[in-house]
Amino acid sequence: MVDQSALDDWFRREVLPLERSLARFVQRNWRVKEEVMDLVHDIYVLAFSGARANMPANTRQYLFTVARNHLINRAKRARIVSFDLVADLETMDRHSDLFDTERHLSAREALRRVQAGLEKLPPRVREIVWLRKVEGLNVRETAERLGIGKDAVNHQVMMGMKALTDHMLGGAGKIIRRRSAAPPKEADQ
Amino acid sequence: MSGVREAQDRAAQWIVAREEPGWSDEDQAAFDAWLAASDLHRVAWLRLDEGWRQTGRIRALGAPGMPPAEFTPLVYRTSKRRWLFPASIAASLMVVVGLNWNNAPVSETMAGYHTPVGGHRQLALADGSKVELNTASSARAALDTDRREIWLDRGEAFFDIAHDPSRPFIVHAGSREITVLGTKFSVRRDGERVTVSVLEGRVRIDEVSGPGIGRSTTITGGDIAVAQGEATLVTAKSDQRVEGALAWREGILSFDQIPLEDIAAEFNRYNRKRLIIDGAEAAEIRIGGTFPLSKPRAFASLLRDAYGLRVEETDDAIKISH
Repeated sequence: MVDQSALDDWFRREVLPLERSLARFVQRNWRVKEEVMDLVHDIYVLAFSGARANMPANTRQYLFTVARNHLINRAKRARIVSFDLVADLETMDRHSDLFDTERHLSAREALRRVQAGLEKLPPRVREIVWLRKVEGLNVRETAERLGIGKDAVNHQVMMGMKALTDHMLGGAGKIIRRRSAAPPKEADQ
Repeated sequence: MSGVREAQDRAAQWIVAREEPGWSDEDQAAFDAWLAASDLHRVAWLRLDEGWRQTGRIRALGAPGMPPAEFTPLVYRTSKRRWLFPASIAASLMVVVGLNWNNAPVSETMAGYHTPVGGHRQLALADGSKVELNTASSARAALDTDRREIWLDRGEAFFDIAHDPSRPFIVHAGSREITVLGTKFSVRRDGERVTVSVLEGRVRIDEVSGPGIGRSTTITGGDIAVAQGEATLVTAKSDQRVEGALAWREGILSFDQIPLEDIAAEFNRYNRKRLIIDGAEAAEIRIGGTFPLSKPRAFASLLRDAYGLRVEETDDAIKISH
């Protein structure tokens, strides 16, 4: 059994930086775009629980093997996916993704990436992220400063956090609004 | 797997809640239980927590040329405080905190002034000179027809002295007397030690007690003199250092690769919530950058995010350890 904090640390340090490649790999092999992020999380869970028993020596190779097997299983179960895809996956040139050079970002590059992520946020969300991260204001203080409710601050911090994480780890970094949050349609008549 | 969205939302809630004051042992236990309930919870949390931590890099802006012009249009103008986003990186974290200026003219007679911990006060003297008292400082002033005098009893002050050759301006600081005709400089007392940083012009520092009585040193703009006992050490020509030494006037602390222990001592001059550095390993980490002096908590979370240090906060202290 691998110690929990070592496992967490491994996940942060070695797995998360691969998210960009992993998401690209899934996207290339899965037709339903909306499911990519769910699949990435499935793969994380499988990789994480597998590593708990035995820490892999080569994280990249391990992660992509897990990803490939999971996509094959899902495709077989889903049936809607053509078996051509499965065949492709099974015979795919594994090395093409495995040796994608994954560079660690320098501090400066990482900072630029954060900034670029911030630029994509709606102004209010960006402002709240700034107040919390730079000014160190807590939720109550942020709410008071902006004259809005604590729930609104909480909600927007969470939106900002998710979008920035997507952006920094390689995803779209767009705010995902839940469908249920859409304003109700006006009743007929 | 549809649980991903929910796991992410819940993880984000936990991350926000953990940063709030009043996070209790029960909260921690509930959080631990939630994490332990499923690996999906755990990876969703690790991922968002890591992303959020990396967002903290915006505080660390240590590299030149960084702070983005793009930040300028942010809508801080509507808030009560004034924000500056100058193009230069050094100033990137400058936050001009709301200072309570007191511009009321000071009477000619001896008058005393004090600031509490975290205080910052500007005095306009009747001769046109300006004095800014930094945190936890006391000074007395007396203006006469032939001389102008200030006693800095403790703490630190910045002086912008109106030029008047007929009336020298003298600052008494412990064992030293600083005499000027017209210039800008600061004087800081830490126990026996007196530090004089000159922004513009020329000042003379005389020893007025102890065995070195009568000795004097003259320094000019860009110089810093540190006097203790018989010794007076002059750091010649470092405008940048002087700027750093005067950054408190903007509500900022500025450091150039200073040991964490010393940085904590600086923050503690300004805040009742004390930063405590636990252990020699952490104390010796050297850090450069500019930080809002009234935000020890923000500084501590930077240490956590950028240096991986442990941060524990209680009512009256923030403990940092390796």
